[in-house]
Amino acid sequence: MISEPLIVEQGVSAGDHWVTVGSGSIRDALAELKKDGFTLLVFLTCVDHLADSSRQWPARYELVYELRNLEKPEQIRVRAFIDGDPPHIDSVHDLFPPANWEERETYDMFGIIFNDHPDLSRILMPDDWVGHPLRRDYPVGGEVVEFSEEHETWQTPPEKA
Amino acid sequence: MTDTITQGVTVTKTGEKGAFGGELLTVNFGPHHPSTHGVLRLIVDLDGEQVRSLKPVIGYLHTGIEKQMEALRWQQGVTVTDRHDYLSPPINNLAYALAVEKLMGVVVPPRADALRVIMSELTRLSSHLVWMGTSGLELGAMSMLMYCFRERDTILDMNEEISGFRMHTSYIRPGGVMADATPRFLEMLDRFIHDMPGHVDEYENLLTNNPIWRSRTIGIGRLSAEDAKVLGATGPMLRGSGVAWDLRRSIPYSGYENYDFEIATSDMCDCYGRYLVRIKEMREAVKILRQALDRLPDGPVNVDDRKMLPPPREELETSMEAVIHHFKLFTEGYSVPPGDVYVAVESGRGENGCYVVSDGTHKPRRVKFRSASFVNLQALEQMSLNHMIADMVAIIGTADTVLGDCDR
Repeated sequence: MISEPLIVEQGVSAGDHWVTVGSGSIRDALAELKKDGFTLLVFLTCVDHLADSSRQWPARYELVYELRNLEKPEQIRVRAFIDGDPPHIDSVHDLFPPANWEERETYDMFGIIFNDHPDLSRILMPDDWVGHPLRRDYPVGGEVVEFSEEHETWQTPPEKA
Repeated sequence: MTDTITQGVTVTKTGEKGAFGGELLTVNFGPHHPSTHGVLRLIVDLDGEQVRSLKPVIGYLHTGIEKQMEALRWQQGVTVTDRHDYLSPPINNLAYALAVEKLMGVVVPPRADALRVIMSELTRLSSHLVWMGTSGLELGAMSMLMYCFRERDTILDMNEEISGFRMHTSYIRPGGVMADATPRFLEMLDRFIHDMPGHVDEYENLLTNNPIWRSRTIGIGRLSAEDAKVLGATGPMLRGSGVAWDLRRSIPYSGYENYDFEIATSDMCDCYGRYLVRIKEMREAVKILRQALDRLPDGPVNVDDRKMLPPPREELETSMEAVIHHFKLFTEGYSVPPGDVYVAVESGRGENGCYVVSDGTHKPRRVKFRSASFVNLQALEQMSLNHMIADMVAIIGTADTVLGDCDR
C-alpha cells in the first residue's frame, strides 16, 4: 500500500477505494502499489472540475489512475490534482506500459503535459487540431461542418461570392 | 503550448541496412484497407517482407462519444454507448447501466439480471461470429463468412424481436431493461440454443484442422503470458496466452456467479490459440444461455422507482402523480448523487469498462470508456515484429480490435 506520508486523503466512493496523493509524488505512489501486486493499470484519465460546485476541489484537473491486483482481485483508484497552463505531471509509462497511449489520449483531450513521455503527440484528434476537446470550456459542435452551408460560402471563389 | 511537443509520426527507418542485404522500406498500411477491420493505419518498416517496426496510427473513427455524453442527460446517454463498440452494443449498455446503478445504489430485479445475461451472451456470440467470418475471409477460408453471418442474422432477428432494433439495441438501461422478453423471443432463443452447438461443430470442421488455416495461424503472433499481462491485454488476447482471467468469474456482475461455465484458455499463445479460445467461448456462451433460459425468474424487469423510470402508460390516464413524474423525467431527467465509480464487464474483446463521475446534476460530469481494443492494440507491435507482412493481417484479425471502440 501507499506509505502514509504520500497520502493526502482517502475514502470510498460507491464501494470503490480511492487515495489522493500529491501531484509530485504520483510516480512514487504508483511504484509502491506496483510492488504490492497492483500490476495492471486498468485506465488512466482526467476529470475537468471547472465550475463544479458539488464540493471544494483542490485544483481544476483531477488525474485518475485505476490499478488492479490480478491475484486477489482488488482495485484501487489513485487521484492527483493539478493546475496550471498547461498542467504538468510525471509520466508513468515506464511503470505501466499501457499508460503510454492513455497519456497521449489525456494530453490530446485535456492538454495535460506528461513529463518525460517518449512521444507525447495527439492520438485521436488530427495532428493540426487546435484545443483540447474534453475540457469543459471547449464547446460542443464548435467547428465548421464539411459540406454544410457555412462550408460552401467558405469554399466559393471570390468572384462568384 | 504545443511547441515542445513532437507533431505526428516522423520516425522511420527508411534507408537503414536490412538483414538480407537490402534497405528498409517504410510502407503505409491503411487506413482504408479491408483487413484493418475499420480504419486503422499502420506505419511499417519492412526488411524484404519482414516487419522490423510498426506504429499504429488511430483516431480515424473518433466521434467524440465521451464529449457527447456530457451534453446528454443520464438516461439519454444509453443510446450513445451503443455506438462505440458497434459489435457489442448491449454489453456497452450494461457497463454504463451498472455504473449509474452503482452510483445511485439501485439493485435491479432478478429477471432483469437474467435478461441482461442473455443479451450479453448473445452479443458475445454475434461478436465472435463477425470475428470468425472476417478473419476466415482474410486468411483464405471464404465460406466462413457465409456460415457465420447466417447465425449472426438469427441473433440480429432476436435483437429486433426484443428491442425493436437489430444492432444498436439500447435494450439495457439504468434501472433495468427496456421491455420484458416477448414469448416469441423466448421461443427463438430456445431454438437458437438447440441449433447453435451443431453450427459451432460446423465451423470447427471448416477451420480447426484446415491445413491452410493452421499454417497461417500456428506460431504466428506469439504473445507470452508475461507480455500479455504487462501490456494490459484482456479478453481472448490474455486467455489465448494461458491466463485464466475473466471478469465474469473474477469480479462477477449481473449474477454471473450463479452460472456454471468454464473459462476458455489456451497455452498456445498464438493466433491459433486465440481462435481456440473464441470457439470455446462460443460453446460456453450457449451453455450460459441454456441455464439462463431454464431458470429465467418471473417478476418485473425494472426497478419500481418513479424518480428514475417513467410510469406505465396505463397509469398516466388515471393518476396525476404519474403525469407529474412523467413530465419531470422527460424534461429534467433524474440526478445522480455526486461521486465516481468504475464498473467493468467482459465483452467479446476484453474488459469493457465505464468510469462515471457525477457532480450531482442531471448530466454526467465525465464518462470514460475503458475500451479493450485501445489497450489490446498496443500489443500489436510486440506480436508482429519479425513476421511477414501477410501474417500481420492474421495478427490484426485475431487481436479483434473494433476501431470504433478504440477511437470512441
